[in-house]
Amino acid sequence: MLPLSLLNASKGRPMQVELKNGETYNGHLVNCDPWMNISLQKDGETFYSLEECYIRGSSIKYLRIQDDVIDNVKEESQRNKNQMRNRNNMRGRGRGRNSNRGRGANNNIRS
Amino acid sequence: MESFLPGTASLIDSVDKKLLVILRDGRNLIGILRSYDQFANLVLQNTLERIIVNDCYGEKERGVFIIRGENVVLLGEIDKDKEQDGYPNLNKVSYEKIKELHEQEIKDKKARELQKQKILLERGFSEEFGDYDLY
Repeated sequence: MLPLSLLNASKGRPMQVELKNGETYNGHLVNCDPWMNISLQKDGETFYSLEECYIRGSSIKYLRIQDDVIDNVKEESQRNKNQMRNRNNMRGRGRGRNSNRGRGANNNIRS
Repeated sequence: MESFLPGTASLIDSVDKKLLVILRDGRNLIGILRSYDQFANLVLQNTLERIIVNDCYGEKERGVFIIRGENVVLLGEIDKDKEQDGYPNLNKVSYEKIKELHEQEIKDKKARELQKQKILLERGFSEEFGDYDLY
């Protein structure tokens, strides 16, 4: 799970962003891209708040995300892996299962 | 060192290990490295932020970090055995206390720098711009 994929996976989740100049922004992650540019949406009324903000990736020092995101991502990637494996297995079995292909409609009924 | 691979490839051995990461602003982060990429962007889990001032230190749990690679100065694995022995030369204090000490230290340093600059200016040196020395 690459850092940027983790960022991608935390879309919609609250996070704290610290910029290189030491300013911090809290908010829900709306969108991000491969350059780490991000847009945040306001998250409660705790601080002086902007409705939305866009942060250029190059000005970021670090992002803090919730603890459970990383676990969710792990589970999901494991599930995807299993799914892929199943699909691959299916592909392997394909010929065997449909061995009656092209031999007429009733060939698969054996008495 | 058994093998050195160019770029960030050598970080592969450090995945899932406890690391100390020092950032360009002087922050010390201690956490488990979960992943990284070609820019040395890092994902740290169960991160502790540790502040050290003279012979005191304090720390605070900070959760999961995604650190942009540019800001990393160094990272190194933490020796588990040595960590267990603790730090005989350092006293642990509360985070609030260390924060206070840290801020005082920064203030003092700034004052010293200002003093130095004043003297240099009197002797015909030009003014320095920006504060790159953030340590």
